[in-house]
Amino acid sequence: MNFDLSDDQRTIKSTARELLAARYPLAEVRRLALEEERAFTDAQWSEMVELGWPEIAELGTVEMIVVAEELGYALAPTPLQSTWTAGLLGASLGSGERGAVVIDGLAFDARSADVLVDWDGGLVSGASIERAPALDPTRRLFRVTGGERSPAATDVERGRLQAMVMNAAESVGVAERAMEMAVAYAKERKQFGRPIGTYQGVSHMCAQMLLEVEGARSAVYWAAWALDHEPETAPLASACAKAYAGDAGRRVPRAALQVHGGIGFTWEHDLHFFLKRGEANAHTYGEGSEHRDRIAELAGL
Amino acid sequence: MDLSLSPQEREFRDAVRRWIEANHPGAEPDSDAELFTVRRAWQRALNERGWAGLSWPPEYGGAGATLVEQAIFFEEIARAGAPSMANVLGLAMGGPTLIAHGTEEQKQRYLPPILSADEIWCQGFSEPESGSDLASLKTRAVRRGKEWVVSGQKVWTTYAHEAKWCMLVARTDPEAPKHRGLTYFLMDMEQGGVEVRPLVQITGEAEFNELFIEDARIPDENIVGGEGNGWPVAITTLMHERAGLAFALQVRVQVALRELRDHIRSAGLAGDMVVRRRFAQLHAESQVLRLNAYRGLTGVMKRGAPGPEGSLGKWHWAEVNQGLSELAMDVAGPNAVLADGPWQYRFLRSRANSIEGGTTEILKNIVAERVLGLPRA
Repeated sequence: MNFDLSDDQRTIKSTARELLAARYPLAEVRRLALEEERAFTDAQWSEMVELGWPEIAELGTVEMIVVAEELGYALAPTPLQSTWTAGLLGASLGSGERGAVVIDGLAFDARSADVLVDWDGGLVSGASIERAPALDPTRRLFRVTGGERSPAATDVERGRLQAMVMNAAESVGVAERAMEMAVAYAKERKQFGRPIGTYQGVSHMCAQMLLEVEGARSAVYWAAWALDHEPETAPLASACAKAYAGDAGRRVPRAALQVHGGIGFTWEHDLHFFLKRGEANAHTYGEGSEHRDRIAELAGL
Repeated sequence: MDLSLSPQEREFRDAVRRWIEANHPGAEPDSDAELFTVRRAWQRALNERGWAGLSWPPEYGGAGATLVEQAIFFEEIARAGAPSMANVLGLAMGGPTLIAHGTEEQKQRYLPPILSADEIWCQGFSEPESGSDLASLKTRAVRRGKEWVVSGQKVWTTYAHEAKWCMLVARTDPEAPKHRGLTYFLMDMEQGGVEVRPLVQITGEAEFNELFIEDARIPDENIVGGEGNGWPVAITTLMHERAGLAFALQVRVQVALRELRDHIRSAGLAGDMVVRRRFAQLHAESQVLRLNAYRGLTGVMKRGAPGPEGSLGKWHWAEVNQGLSELAMDVAGPNAVLADGPWQYRFLRSRANSIEGGTTEILKNIVAERVLGLPRA
């Protein structure tokens, strides 16, 4: 029994944290989100390819979710998650190639992708791809219509679960960063002559954030471990992780915005990017309610 | 990361499971007095097997079990629906406190009868005016020759009516700052100056007592950890309370969840979408409780202290356990107005969960100040 990352996994995590902090300060996140056509640059993608991140799932699901968590923490705009999911669903991608996944006629990063697949792992070709307005400005969203779909060659069940858990891990990172912003603000912002963090109405909201962030992290690590080592538990663990972390990923930024007060509601403040990513994640790869239905079923109800 | 049990851990689990199957005393009797007799016999049987003081070092009659083995043991006890041991406060709190702060004479004198349940222990910390603000307590101990004379009132003293010894924190120096004027005593309950009155709770039972102390006597050698040093000793006791109970509590939630599932089925509500989703949310929360407990365990084994998740367990457990019985009442529907089932009792009992052993509000303050580093109010 050892519920902790291995030394190698820790190294992956700290390397990702440092690199992403250097490459994606929030000013750069904002620039990519609002000004860059694809929301990433060739140089940024090449660096991720050199690091071997597109193929990291080959090392293990835990290794992938460790990076996913850091992507959420940095809120790095990148087609990496779309590429991962396409690969997990069986898309064959050459080195440096990008993938995207069409679900309910929508796909993140579809225009810049080399390969498009659907949620069943079927190859999508010749479709029309049209930019769609996105709630989350840090990711490019497209409406995908028409075209041909070839049936999938592989069983996608495990890949779907891995994608769900990866998305949940990203929400853990989103929630953690939003919590850190709220805590920092509660320490420094003064009203009525003292830091607002001394008021229990504020400090208890922050404590609640920690409960949700750490709980979500535990659930996500469990699911990632189960996917690699205990396949019979993986469906339940993945549904728990997605339902719980999906909620944490949006509830924590909402509360963080409340802690910030008026400034948190401004476009100028960066918090709304986290709020939007967390909300979008909770509606990607299945609603929380669908995952809860699955949990009830797997728990024998 | 490896969430599975090692071969040795699996072997230990199987041994515990087999032993419980062979020695399980069966359904719990209704009366409190009979139940206590069952618990005492159960503890004695466990002690003969060497498991009553599971976490204690072998030189004091313990099994010196690893944290994972302790977790496994409590999981198996809860899973089998086996009774808890009679001297739970002595085993989980008093003994470990003596092992950490007691003299060698105290250890030799007090530890064996804790293990054998020959001497039951209770805890005299809280007072009517000192709940969350424990260090403000007013019970006075005044030195008279080689003994101390104690007067005051304690409340919420579980098992006081069965107890021989009370872990008593009293004020010995009223001039000192409130945390420094306290001393930790072992008080003999069998004396004229100590009166125990049952405190009837909203369930109609009396798990707890009030303690009225008037000129009770405690010899000097019954001080634990030195005069004026009662606060850190009391904190040791409280830390053991939270760590020791955390595992047993989360496993009882897993068992309760299965019972809730059966309750939902027999009420014919297994197809009700709202009920299913509330149940699923509780299921996910209970998994998080379990996982956080294991993460905390790993943190203690690797770094000597649990990570941030360790501070959250008791608070989260209270929410989940209350949520379980609240859903169960809704599932009972019109029948919830009857007081004839286990869920009505559990619903009432669970209201104390967010108060006993540290209120949720105090736990949130601790998380905010000590984990997140927010300024103190």
